[in-house]
Amino acid sequence: MRITQNMLSANMLKNLTNSYENMGKYQDQLATGKRINRPSDDPVVAMKGISYRNNLQEVEQFKRNFSEAYNWNENSDSSLDKATQALQRIRELTVQASNDTYDASQRDGIKQEITQLKEQLVQIANTKFGDKYLFNGTDTTEQPVDLTTTPPTVSTNNNPVKIELSKGVYIQVNADPSKVFTLDNSTTPPSGLFGDIDNLINKLSDPNSTGDDINAELGKLDGHLQNVTDARSELGARMNRIQLMENRVDEQEVIANKVMSDNEDADIEKVITNLKAEESVQRAALSVGARIIQPSLMDFLR
Amino acid sequence: MTSTFMGLETARRGMMTQQSALYVTGHNIANANTPGYTRQRVNFTQTEPYPAAAMNRPQIPGQMGTGVEAGSIQRIREGFLDLQYRGENNKLGYWQSRADGLSKMENIMNEPSEDGLSAVMGQFWQSLQDLSVNPENEGTRSVVLERGQAVADTFHYLHDSLSSIQDDLGNEVSVSLRDINSILKKIGDVNKQIGEVEPHGYLPNDLYDERDQLVDQLSQYVDIKVTKVKSEGKPSDMAEGIYDIQLLDATGKSTGKTLVNGSDYVQLGFKGSDNKLAYDPTGNIGDKDLKMFNSTGEKQVGELSLLNSNQEMSFSQGKLRGLIESYGYKTTDAGGNEVDHGTYTEMLDNLDQMAFTFANVFNAIQKKGYGLNDSSTPPDFFNIPAALTKDNYKDASKLIEMADIKPDQIAASSVPGDAGDGSNAINLSNLQGMELSSTSQKLEGTTDTIDLTQLSAIKNGSMQSFYEGMIGKLGVDAQQANRLEKNSDTLRQSVDESRQSVSSVSLDEEMTNMIKFQHAYNAAARNITVMDEMLDKIINGMGTVGR
Repeated sequence: MRITQNMLSANMLKNLTNSYENMGKYQDQLATGKRINRPSDDPVVAMKGISYRNNLQEVEQFKRNFSEAYNWNENSDSSLDKATQALQRIRELTVQASNDTYDASQRDGIKQEITQLKEQLVQIANTKFGDKYLFNGTDTTEQPVDLTTTPPTVSTNNNPVKIELSKGVYIQVNADPSKVFTLDNSTTPPSGLFGDIDNLINKLSDPNSTGDDINAELGKLDGHLQNVTDARSELGARMNRIQLMENRVDEQEVIANKVMSDNEDADIEKVITNLKAEESVQRAALSVGARIIQPSLMDFLR
Repeated sequence: MTSTFMGLETARRGMMTQQSALYVTGHNIANANTPGYTRQRVNFTQTEPYPAAAMNRPQIPGQMGTGVEAGSIQRIREGFLDLQYRGENNKLGYWQSRADGLSKMENIMNEPSEDGLSAVMGQFWQSLQDLSVNPENEGTRSVVLERGQAVADTFHYLHDSLSSIQDDLGNEVSVSLRDINSILKKIGDVNKQIGEVEPHGYLPNDLYDERDQLVDQLSQYVDIKVTKVKSEGKPSDMAEGIYDIQLLDATGKSTGKTLVNGSDYVQLGFKGSDNKLAYDPTGNIGDKDLKMFNSTGEKQVGELSLLNSNQEMSFSQGKLRGLIESYGYKTTDAGGNEVDHGTYTEMLDNLDQMAFTFANVFNAIQKKGYGLNDSSTPPDFFNIPAALTKDNYKDASKLIEMADIKPDQIAASSVPGDAGDGSNAINLSNLQGMELSSTSQKLEGTTDTIDLTQLSAIKNGSMQSFYEGMIGKLGVDAQQANRLEKNSDTLRQSVDESRQSVSSVSLDEEMTNMIKFQHAYNAAARNITVMDEMLDKIINGMGTVGR
């Protein structure tokens, strides 16, 4: 093949451009840490990249949701713990009062204390954390218990507050208040937690009520105590489940990160090695360039 | 008996001929760097020997050579390589323009990245999840509104950017057409000049070069076939003749459309949808349509169809088609409806489908829920013109807007009046992954279902998978275009190398020739000196015996 000067210089230019282009590619990979920077670099990686990123975003979001689930659970549990204590104190006082030797003033003292304890139970039922009421189902912006109205009202909203903690898994995070803080105005006298306590208070202030009359309230109180305990054990069981799920989501996060990184991250050692190799190619191309512009026949003729 | 002066004449011819060879060498050296130049060579031929065979020839032994003459000056060029070069150049033109258009599109879509559409939608999704956890919080509600605005803004940005690139491509089509038209005119002109020179037996080498270079340029835009037609009169055997140039179709078969016929040539015209694109002298080119006019541009002489009867792209390969494919073109389907095609048109259409589906389904889910402490039906979240339907969603990505909605009107709850219920926010956040072909998509927190097929412009899969498909297709198309651009570039370069190998000027070679011709010239001159001495002897030294 006949070779002319023009062809040599054109080829040299082509080689230099090629190697600059490759170096640019490696530079991009090093600067971004990504194997691909546009879909055409590898369409499959790009496509998967979109869904892996979405997965990761989801997992991260679920992790964020967990803190809110814990908030609900722990606050509800500690409130119910206080409710248990209050109820137990009421029970102790009732047992004392059922003693027929107590006179009216002693009973009055007990009545006073129970009235205060009732107020405390109201406060517990109206516990707020942040800007939401814990014990009003999903109606979190309304106060559930208001005993100042006639008749006194207690919300019966038992809608579960659900949080998505894993794709498609919705976990209830609140306790069911309709089983704990109750008031049934339809019976005479009104029943339910607050009805029964009112009843007890009424009996204590009634001089005609005997020890047996008061003792009869104990069974009801026990029932309410049991309800609170049930609600707490339900919370505890759910808490366990949430913790298990959290562990799983933590693992998922690691996996999602790994998958994403495997898919699109650049293998830095490889890129640097390639870059080094390309550098030497570039040097070779340059030094070849310096050589091909050789003295021609003209330089030797006079 | 030969004449006394015959040697002088022979040497003179030698000098003249070597001199002309030196002139051509000079021409070669001068044009060593001229693009499109083909090195030239003087074909030496011996002159008729003496005596010519005839009845009354003088009786001398053998025929005596009478020297040399410059028979012809020829280009050293291989026609087959031109053919190959033009084929590869044509493919390169097509893939280059296609790769260019797709690469710009990739830049705009900017995927995968932290700030493409999918990332913005992901953030919107996250804000809805936060809302589902804290539905009574005004702060999380405001975040949802901001993120929703960001999604609408991203749709606008993508639409605007793609549209403006599309317009640029349209301008490029128009610039290319002007270029093609000017090349066609020039080829016609050069053909005319060649047609005037060749009948006299001359070889207009430099005009051939000019014409071949023009044809090379033309081959980049459209696929062509060159037929050579012999000139009138008495052309040399080596004459190239007149070029007739025909347009080939996508498969390389002749379309029967002649672009240049001798000195006659046509002009091409195209009109974009925005009336921006030039060359519509008669004003009757339809929207995104291609036509052929006579050289003065007054009369339409042919229609250039982009598609064949099977609705497949059949227009000649090359840069022009690459640009038109990117920019977009219109066809009429079997039902007589106009259909838009083209890379940018399709991408915009997909975006419109997404924006329409997104806004429409989001609004529908929003309407299934209730705002904060509110039991009335909430207002729309996104505004999208009522004229748009699932079958006619054009420009949805441009028209989608956030509705004038207050934070507490976002329907996070499925229970009227219950602030703490976040079920509907979950439904909203699930939108991205909902199977859009579902006729009864279940919703959280309610027994209601919605019929997504009635709301969505996308027929199958989810928004997410639809978008992944869009990006995947873009990636595959761009990858293929890049690869074939590189391939055809390499092939063109290698053919060009072969061509250069035959036709380009080597300075060393020319130097060598120069020395060769110079020495031959000198020797011929010396021969004259010898003749001179011989004649001196005859004239001045003879017949002086005894003087």
